[in-house]
Amino acid sequence: MVDRLLVFSVFVVASCGLAYELIAGALSSYLLGDSLLQFSSIIGCYLFAMGVGSHFSKYIRDEDALTRFVDIELLVGLLGGISAALLFVVFAWLSAPFRSVLYALVFLIGVCVGMEIPLVMRVLDRQQMALRDLVSKVLTFDYLGALAVSLLFPLVLAPQLGMIRTGLLFGMCNVAVALWTTHLYRQHIAASTARLVKGGVILGGLLAAFLYADRITHWSEHGLFGDEVVYSTTTPYQRLVVTQWKDDLRLYINGNLQFSSKDEHRYHEALVHPLLTSLPWARQVLVLGGGDGLAVRELLKYPQIEHIALVDLDPAMTQLFSTSPRLTALNKGSLRNPRVTVVNEDAGQWLEQHSRMFDAIVVDFPDPSNFGLGKLYSVPMFRLMSHHLAEHGRLVVQSTSPYFAPRSFWCIDATLKEAGFNTWPYHTYVPSFGEWGFILAGKTKDFTPPAKYPIPLKYLDDDETRRMFRFPADMSPLKMEPNRLDNQSLVHYFEQDWHEVSR
Amino acid sequence: MDRRQFLLLGATAAGVSACHAFPGLEIPVRVDMPGMALGHQLRDAHAWPAATEHRDVDTLILGSGVAGLTAAWQLQKHDYRNYLLLSGPEPLGNTAYGDAGRGLRYPKGAHYLPFPTRSSTHVRELLADMGVLVSGEHESHPYYDEAAILHAPDERIWADGKWSPGVIAPVAAHSESARQQARFFRWVEQLKTQKGSDGLRLFDIPLVLSSQDDDWRRLDMMPFSRWLDQQGYTDSALRAYLDYACRDDYGAGCTHVSAWAGLHYFACRDGHASNGADGGLLTWPEGLGRLTQWMYNRLPAANVMAGSAIRIQEGQHNVTVDVLAGKTRMTIAARRVICAMPLHVLKHLVSLSDYGFDVPQQMPPHAPWLVTNLVLQGFPPEKDGEPLAWDNVRAGSDGLGYVVATHQWIREAMPERTVFTAYRNLPQFSPDAARKWLLAAKPADLFDAAMVDLDEVYGRPRLWRHAQYAEITVRGHAMATPAVGFLHNAGLAALRKQDGRLLFAHSDLSGLSLFEEASWWGYQAAQKILG
Repeated sequence: MVDRLLVFSVFVVASCGLAYELIAGALSSYLLGDSLLQFSSIIGCYLFAMGVGSHFSKYIRDEDALTRFVDIELLVGLLGGISAALLFVVFAWLSAPFRSVLYALVFLIGVCVGMEIPLVMRVLDRQQMALRDLVSKVLTFDYLGALAVSLLFPLVLAPQLGMIRTGLLFGMCNVAVALWTTHLYRQHIAASTARLVKGGVILGGLLAAFLYADRITHWSEHGLFGDEVVYSTTTPYQRLVVTQWKDDLRLYINGNLQFSSKDEHRYHEALVHPLLTSLPWARQVLVLGGGDGLAVRELLKYPQIEHIALVDLDPAMTQLFSTSPRLTALNKGSLRNPRVTVVNEDAGQWLEQHSRMFDAIVVDFPDPSNFGLGKLYSVPMFRLMSHHLAEHGRLVVQSTSPYFAPRSFWCIDATLKEAGFNTWPYHTYVPSFGEWGFILAGKTKDFTPPAKYPIPLKYLDDDETRRMFRFPADMSPLKMEPNRLDNQSLVHYFEQDWHEVSR
Repeated sequence: MDRRQFLLLGATAAGVSACHAFPGLEIPVRVDMPGMALGHQLRDAHAWPAATEHRDVDTLILGSGVAGLTAAWQLQKHDYRNYLLLSGPEPLGNTAYGDAGRGLRYPKGAHYLPFPTRSSTHVRELLADMGVLVSGEHESHPYYDEAAILHAPDERIWADGKWSPGVIAPVAAHSESARQQARFFRWVEQLKTQKGSDGLRLFDIPLVLSSQDDDWRRLDMMPFSRWLDQQGYTDSALRAYLDYACRDDYGAGCTHVSAWAGLHYFACRDGHASNGADGGLLTWPEGLGRLTQWMYNRLPAANVMAGSAIRIQEGQHNVTVDVLAGKTRMTIAARRVICAMPLHVLKHLVSLSDYGFDVPQQMPPHAPWLVTNLVLQGFPPEKDGEPLAWDNVRAGSDGLGYVVATHQWIREAMPERTVFTAYRNLPQFSPDAARKWLLAAKPADLFDAAMVDLDEVYGRPRLWRHAQYAEITVRGHAMATPAVGFLHNAGLAALRKQDGRLLFAHSDLSGLSLFEEASWWGYQAAQKILG
C-alpha cells in the first residue's frame, strides 16, 4: 500500500517536471518571441540538466535516498513554483539578464527533477521489489504524468490560471509530495519534524503567492509603466494598458501615452469645441479614431447634435471604454449614449464603403509614425473625408505638435490644402503632452474662431481661443510640400522631428 | 502558443521534406493555364463540330485583352455601335485578376503602368476618362489621383541577409561599381530627352513613334550584353540588375535581348506627374486589370460575346469567322475584323503570309511567365532592414521578386489578409524547353519554382503559418521577347500597316509586351474603323 503511494507520487512528480518545462517555454516564447527557438533551447537545456541530475544521484548514499528525495521535492517545489513569477518580474525590472536567469533556472530545476526518479527507484529497490516490476511501474507513471500535464497545461491550466498561478500550483504539488512522503516514512527520514515544518512554510508561501498572483503581475507591469496597472490587454491591433496613480488615470497604447485624466479635458475641448461651436446647425457628426469616447463626451454637450458615428478599429478599446466603471466615469458613459453609434471597422475601409454625409468630422488618428499610418494623412484620404462632408461642414484633424514636430504639423496643413480645404491651424498646451496642434478645415472660407462658447467648459474661453489661433515666433508656420503618397515625407519628418526632441 | 504554432513545431521537427510525404499538410495549390487547351487544339488541327448558327456584324473584335478592349472602348466612345467583341479564352487577357473574397484583389498578369509619356496620348485619354488623370492631360506633368500613384515604400532588395532600399544590391560608395552605376544612369537619363536626326525621341512609347535615326537603330543588331561590354559596364551588381530588368519586361536576359530594346527599357520612360516624383508609376491592387475592367464595364452586354475564334477567312465582301461559343459553333460574317490576339495563336486561324508575315522566319519568340498568388492570413514576420515594400526582389535570384497586392490600400491597421504575387520566368531554358518543362511539371514543382524568393526571405514554415492557398497562373507564351533584330522585323511592319478587311492589334506588333503598346494598336485599329 505504502509503496503504491510512492509510485503514485512518481506520477505527480513527473507531471510537475514537465509543467515547469512547458511554463518556461511558453513564457519565453510570449516574452521574447520566436517560439521555435525558445521551446527547443529550453527542452534541450532541461533534458541535459536532467541527465546531469541523474548522474549526480549516484553520489547519494542508499540510506539517505529517501531523505534527499524529500529535500529535492521541497527545492523543486520552491524553485519550480516561483519560476514563472520570478521570470515575469525579472523581465519587467531587469530586462538584460533575462535569458541568463531563464536558462539558469531551467537548468537548476532540470538537475533536481533528474534526481527524482533514480532516487524513487532506489527507495523502492531497497524495499525488495522485483526489478522488472519496479522499472515498469515507475516509468509507466512517469510517462502517464507527462501525458496528463501536456494536455492539461495548454487546454485548462494556462488559459484558466495563467502562467504564474500554474507554476505555483505545481510547486505546491511537489511540496505536498514531500510532506506526504515525510509523513509516511517518518522512521526512515532524518529530522522528519524539521522537514515537515520546512515544507509547511514553503507550502504556505506558495499558497500565499497563488492567492496574490494578480499583484505580482501588477508589480511587474508597474515596473514597465511607473504607475499601478489597473487594466491591460493585448488585442490583435495593439496593447492597451490603463494605469492609475492617485486620481490620475492614464491610457497607454503600445507603450505610448494617449491621455492623462488630469489634463485630457484640454486636449478634447480644444479638439471639439472650436469646430462645433462654429457649426450651430450641425446635426450629424463623424468621429474617426477616438475609441476612448472622450471626444464624444464633449460632442454630446451640444443638444442639437442628433447622431454621432464613431469609427474605431479596435472593439476591445471601445468595449473597455463602454464598460469599465473607472473609464465610463471619465467619458460620462458617452459610448453608450443613444445618440452614439460605435462602428468597429478600419476608418479607411469604412470611408471607402459608405456614403453617409456629415456636418462635422473629428479626426483623432494615431500619429503618423509609420508608412501605414502616414497614409491616413494623405491627399486621397482627406479627399475621401471631403466626400463625406456637407458643403458648409468642417472637420478637425489632430496634427501632432507644432512645437516639437513643426515640419510634420505644417506638412499636414499643406496636405489638407492640396485636398481642396481651407485650413485654420491652432494649438494648445496639454501638460502631459506639451504643446499640441490641430487643424480645422472646411470647403468654404467663412470660419472665424468662436468668441464665446454656448456651454460651460473647464478650459476654453474667448481669450484662450484667440491665443490658440495665433502662432508665436517660435512656432511660426513653415512652408511645406504636401505629404505625397509616393514618398510619404510626413513619416520621415515625424520620425526626425521627434528623434531630435528625445535626444 | 496557439494551434498553428504547435503544428509548426511539429512540422519543423519532422523536417520540411516530410510535409511533401503528407500532402494534407501542403497549402492547396491551384494551377491555371489560361487559353492552353484551346490553343493546343488549334495547333493540333482539332476536328470541330459543324456550325449551327450564323450572325452578321459590321466590326468583329477578336480578343478582350488590352488591345481588343481599347478598340472597343474607342468605338463605343465615338458612338459606333455595330460591333461585337468576342472575349476569347481569357477575359482581360494578360491583365486578368483574381479575387480572394472581401475585396481582396490581386493581379494574374501585368500590374503597373509608368507615368505615360507625352506621346502616349491614347493612354492619357483612357486615364483621363477614368478620372485617374485628374488634370493636365496634354501637359508634360499631369495631375494624377494619388491613390493610384505607387505609395512609399516602393521597392527593396534582399542581399547579404538583409533588406536594403532600391532594386540594386548596395555597393560601397566611391567604388568602381558605384561609378559604373552612376555613369549608366546618367547616360540613360540623358537618352530620355535626346532626339534623333528626324527630331523624334530616340526611344519612345509607343515604340513606333521612336526616331528612325539609323545611327541608333543599328543597336538593334547586337545583344544588349555585348553593347554593355563595349561600353565598359561590367560591374556585377549593375549587370545583375539590368538582367533582372530585361527578364522582368522582356522574358529573357541581356544576352538575348537587342541592345536597342535594352536601352529602350530605361530611356523610353520619360513620363512625369505634377504630384509624384519622376520615375513613378501607377498601380492598383488588381494590377492593370483595373484599366481593362473599366473598359469592359463600359461595353453594352449586347456588344460582348463569350467565345473564341477558331478560323478566319477573308472573302470578297466580308470576313467569315468560325467561332466556338461554349459547346455551340457558329459563323460570324463581319465587314471588318480586328485580330486582337497574339500572333502565335493567330497563325493557326489565318494564313499570315497573305498579309506579309512569314511565320517561320518572323514570329517573335514568346517567353513563358508564371504568376503565383499566395493568399495570406496576416503578414509573415519580416527580417532586418527596410520594411515590406510594394516590390520586393532578391539579389541574384532566378525569380523576379514579389509584389504586395494590398500595398495601395489606405488603412489604419495592416489588413487581416493579403496576397503576395510572386513573378517568375524560366530564363535557364529556351522558351520551347521551358514550355515542355511547364507542361510536365506537377503543381508541387511549379510551386517550388514560384517560391524561390519567398522561401529564401521568409522560410516556408513561416509562410505556412499564414498561407491559405496559392494560385499559379501559367502563361506559356506570355510575352514577345525583343530579341536581336526585332526592330527590323519586316513582317511585323507589314501587319502594322494593314488597312483592309483584316486589322491587327496586339503588343506583338511592337515586338515587346507593354500595356501602352497593346493599347496603341487597339486604338489605331479603332481609328481605322472610324475613318
